[in-house]
Amino acid sequence: MRGEASSDREFRALLDAAVDAIVVIDHRGTIEEFSLAAQRMFGYTAEEMIGHNVNLLMPEPYRSEHDGYLERYATTRITRIIGVGREILSRRKDGTVFPCELAVGQVPDLEPPRYIGFIRDLTRHKEAEEQLRRSEAELRLAQGLANLGNYVVHPRGDGPDYFSVQLYRILDVPLSGPDVTREEFFEKWVHPADRARVAEAFQRLDSGGAQLDIEYQVVLRDGRIRYLHHIAQAVREDGGRVLKHVGTIHDITDRRHAEDEARQLQDRLTHFSRLSTMGEMAAGLAHEINQPLSAIATYAQACQRLLRRPEHDGADVVEALDQINAQALRAGEVIRRLRNFVKNREVKREWVNCERLLDDLRTLAETDARLHSVHLRIDAQKDLPAVHADPIQLQQVVLNLVRNAIDATIGCPEDRREIVLMTRRSAEGEIQITVADQGGGLAPGAAEHLFNPFFTTKSSGTGLGLAISRSIIRAHGGRLWHTPNGQFGACFHFTLPASPATKGE
Amino acid sequence: MKPTVFVVDDDAAVRDSLRMLLKSVGLPVEVFESGQEFLDADRDDRPGCLVLDIRMPGMSGLELQIKLNERHSILPIIFITGHGDVPMAVEAMQAGAVDFIQKPFRDQDLLDRINQALDKDAGSRRMLAERNMIRKRLESLTPREREVLDLVVAGKANKVIAGDLNLSQRTVEIHRARVMEKMEAHSLAHLVRMVLEVEREDE
Repeated sequence: MRGEASSDREFRALLDAAVDAIVVIDHRGTIEEFSLAAQRMFGYTAEEMIGHNVNLLMPEPYRSEHDGYLERYATTRITRIIGVGREILSRRKDGTVFPCELAVGQVPDLEPPRYIGFIRDLTRHKEAEEQLRRSEAELRLAQGLANLGNYVVHPRGDGPDYFSVQLYRILDVPLSGPDVTREEFFEKWVHPADRARVAEAFQRLDSGGAQLDIEYQVVLRDGRIRYLHHIAQAVREDGGRVLKHVGTIHDITDRRHAEDEARQLQDRLTHFSRLSTMGEMAAGLAHEINQPLSAIATYAQACQRLLRRPEHDGADVVEALDQINAQALRAGEVIRRLRNFVKNREVKREWVNCERLLDDLRTLAETDARLHSVHLRIDAQKDLPAVHADPIQLQQVVLNLVRNAIDATIGCPEDRREIVLMTRRSAEGEIQITVADQGGGLAPGAAEHLFNPFFTTKSSGTGLGLAISRSIIRAHGGRLWHTPNGQFGACFHFTLPASPATKGE
Repeated sequence: MKPTVFVVDDDAAVRDSLRMLLKSVGLPVEVFESGQEFLDADRDDRPGCLVLDIRMPGMSGLELQIKLNERHSILPIIFITGHGDVPMAVEAMQAGAVDFIQKPFRDQDLLDRINQALDKDAGSRRMLAERNMIRKRLESLTPREREVLDLVVAGKANKVIAGDLNLSQRTVEIHRARVMEKMEAHSLAHLVRMVLEVEREDE
């Protein structure tokens, strides 16, 4: 008896020390033991449970079915749970249901049988699992939305590499297929035109560069082209050795297409604006071409008269012929500049010498100035460095500013009808071009709308000139702004980044 | 002084070709590249004519014309215009230009216009010279002779003049003879015409 009591106490101590809840039932399901952990887990005291059916601890439908399980086992001895363990749902005294893991043992050699159940609360575990699953799903969703994939690669092969699902999608690689090596990636994905550049960027990263940040094109298996923005960084050990590369690849194809479309639209608008400028200048240009033609006719007629004279001076005739030649070339040059200006062409940046730019511009600008009896003074600083720009677009900007200045000057007294076109090197090393007039200046309300498209103070005019000029200058990395010009008129200035070294033509 | 063709055009080639053309037909020519340069050279009282580009930067051709009018210059102006400058040409004509020609032009058309302008200038200068002469003759009259002249020109007979001036008819006759002599008048009609000529100018 004493031995039995002692073993019973040991059993009880064991029962109560266990972290998992322990419940002992007989073959009908009646609870015989209900451990401390079980009392904590379910909220029942041992007194409340002992003698009651264990199915109290189960939510429906298991509660109703449990007696059947026990009976079936008693007759068939086919177990579904004993020695297996599985995840089930349990029910607390307060009615809440929670996930738990149940392992059931049978006390050997007892008839009718008795069973011991070990129950582990899985609530926290499940929550953590759910959270992990959710955050993975969210990450995947976010990557899908952003069209951004990420990866971790161990260059020495001493760790598990990881490529996100979106990365497979972006590069159109089957998820189940073999991993793609870097060499394969360069060879089969990276666009041939970008290959050298990409390889060089990776080389910099490998040889200790801080970061890889590059945009390039890839060609997918079906021939589609995607634009990628690839950022990668080396993660180092304490010793400085590269442990792994972590990177993101962003599919920016849509953005690039949108940008391309916007650029094309901008180019078309820019060209349209040049055409309409030329349309407005047609009268002046006809005049400009008429000048050399007129001179040619007069020289030729003078030659005829000189040659008809018996004692004609050969030198005069030669001089006239020289001039005829020069004036014919001059007319051709006006037409060439005009054609260049209105031609619908690819935007092309090149190193442009400022003096050359003003020279090309002079004909077109002076035409308009002369037409309105305005004097155009060019004040160019010598030996300015070249600027990297599209020369025609720059001409367009300057011509636009000069024409605005002329319009502002019309009707002013003669001593104010002068426009100064000035080039300088600013303190910051930029090239600054200023068009200054002494006209009426800007109306108080006009300044704020000045750069809005379709804003115009003129009866004829598209209202696009300044808006387009500003976007051209911005695209060149410069600024366009205006200031008052002393007592009268306005100055429009713009800057262009100059070449680091003087790199004229 | 031989009449000169003055050319004002900002375009060097146009200017130079005109200089050569005019030289080839033996006309004295002087060229200027701006209205201001021409004004500064003080050529506007010289005989000749002005061939003037209507469109120039700074002072336009029309503005030079206005400045010359302010200086009472009588130099005839032929404007050179481009296409579509007709409204400006009309304005120029209203301000007294003799003619305009559209460039490019036939040399003979220009030379014809220049010759007409030079003729006009010569005529104007002759008339001016004559008026000056008449004025000088008028200035040589005594106050009494001037009174007699005014009444003669007003169509009054000697007897009426004598009554008006409270003089004897004989004295009036002597004054009248002196007036005819000083004014170098061939006839009464000539005398009247000379006085009217100057008075019209002074109005």
